[in-house]
Amino acid sequence: MFLAHLVPSYPFLLPLSFKVSLTLQGGLCNLCLDKTNKDYILEANGVEPVINCLSSSNEETVMSAVTTLMYLTTPQSRQQTTALPVVECMLRFSLSANRRLSNLATVFLEDYCTPPQVEEARNLSKHTAVGIPLPKD
Amino acid sequence: MAAGSSSGTGGPGDACRHHAQLGVCESRAKYREGRRPRAVKVYTVNLESRYLLIQGVPALGVMKELVEQFALYGAIEEYHALDEYPAEQFTEVYLIKFQKLQCARVAKKKMDERSFFGSLLHVCYAPEFETVQETREKLQDRRKYIAKATNQRDCFVSKKEGPKKTVSKISGRDCPWNTSGQCAASNWDPSCFTGSQGVSHNVGHPSGNRHQSPLIYPHGNNYSETSGYFGQSTSPTPSVQPGGGTPPTPLAQQRTAPIDNGLERFMPRTTHLQERKRKREEGNKFSLIGTSGDKTEVVIGPQLPEIPKVDMDDDSLNTSATLIRNKLKEVADSVSRTSVEKPESSAAKPLVKQRRRI
Repeated sequence: MFLAHLVPSYPFLLPLSFKVSLTLQGGLCNLCLDKTNKDYILEANGVEPVINCLSSSNEETVMSAVTTLMYLTTPQSRQQTTALPVVECMLRFSLSANRRLSNLATVFLEDYCTPPQVEEARNLSKHTAVGIPLPKD
Repeated sequence: MAAGSSSGTGGPGDACRHHAQLGVCESRAKYREGRRPRAVKVYTVNLESRYLLIQGVPALGVMKELVEQFALYGAIEEYHALDEYPAEQFTEVYLIKFQKLQCARVAKKKMDERSFFGSLLHVCYAPEFETVQETREKLQDRRKYIAKATNQRDCFVSKKEGPKKTVSKISGRDCPWNTSGQCAASNWDPSCFTGSQGVSHNVGHPSGNRHQSPLIYPHGNNYSETSGYFGQSTSPTPSVQPGGGTPPTPLAQQRTAPIDNGLERFMPRTTHLQERKRKREEGNKFSLIGTSGDKTEVVIGPQLPEIPKVDMDDDSLNTSATLIRNKLKEVADSVSRTSVEKPESSAAKPLVKQRRRI
């Protein structure tokens, strides 16, 4: 099966290319909901590459990454997926002119982050100008 | 599998690219971000939407007919023309909002590149028209759908676990933790993990049996590093006290509750599986190419092919037996009929021949 081939290769592919191809991130978004895949991805430290994809210049990749992070959030991985830089990033996305992206980011902030987390990120972003860049339109 | 949910590879992507080639102007970017020159080959939940954008509708005042056409595929909530959208000369652009994503999916598949009053329609998803709540619902529906589909597989595990759990409750406190290890495969994994790990941390030195619990988890070694998270994350069992017979039971009860739900869901599901299997068998009989597979895909929606089939094979030993029994009955009836007729019409051969033709 396609998955059987893709999933084992996933940890190798992502570290290799920071600019994950659109297809790969999209495919990941599709299959990360399945329990076995989710466990595998979490076990293989797959959250980090997904977070890196948030910085991609390709907006489709970014959106797929946001959705993947949502689906990969479990009580165990929550620390990683809702880390401060991520929440910060989502805050900025939620203000994006790109409606799809802002919707996704808003859902992420509302459903997957606690209000204190959002508050913390909001305070932080007031101080720092450097952050994960928004995707180019 | 979930990857199969990408409903198109080159086809829809080409259609989207094709749209982009129609002289995209700058103002378009605000409306439609997805129609980039970059081909979108993988359909994710993000890209699919209940909203469909239809271009290339001839400006002949055919809105009513258009909506009627699309209404064949499902209930439509809203529709209107997008006058501000850049369109070719003599064409109009419409937005149609379906009540269900599945209907939108089917409608897009069928109506894209279809001739309508002499003009080719271009149908695309338009997720940028969604509200936040609609996006949220969309994502949750997808999650539920896959949970349901994978639950179907996990139910087989849980069904076996169910009786084990009830027995273990009686036998001892540590046994629930044994079965909770098997819970790792189920969807209640997070609660199982945090619950039992939390308890093993909080309880400290229980009976020596409890120490077996880390060993039971299949990924016990891997999760040892994440055990640090357990300490930090909000444990659902803060109230667990050491040396209490009660702590295991409420958690075990929590676990049995979802399992009971799984069992309830499990029962009616077998009938669905039986029907699907029958349909597939019929389809295989009649079609050389697996077009029946497409039909089932349409019925099921986001295609989750192989896994359910495998499960059916595991599960439907009984159903196949009943099917065989039914068929045997049919054959026996037909055989008895022909055997009865044969002595009667043994002389009348033309009659027998007629029957054979039929």
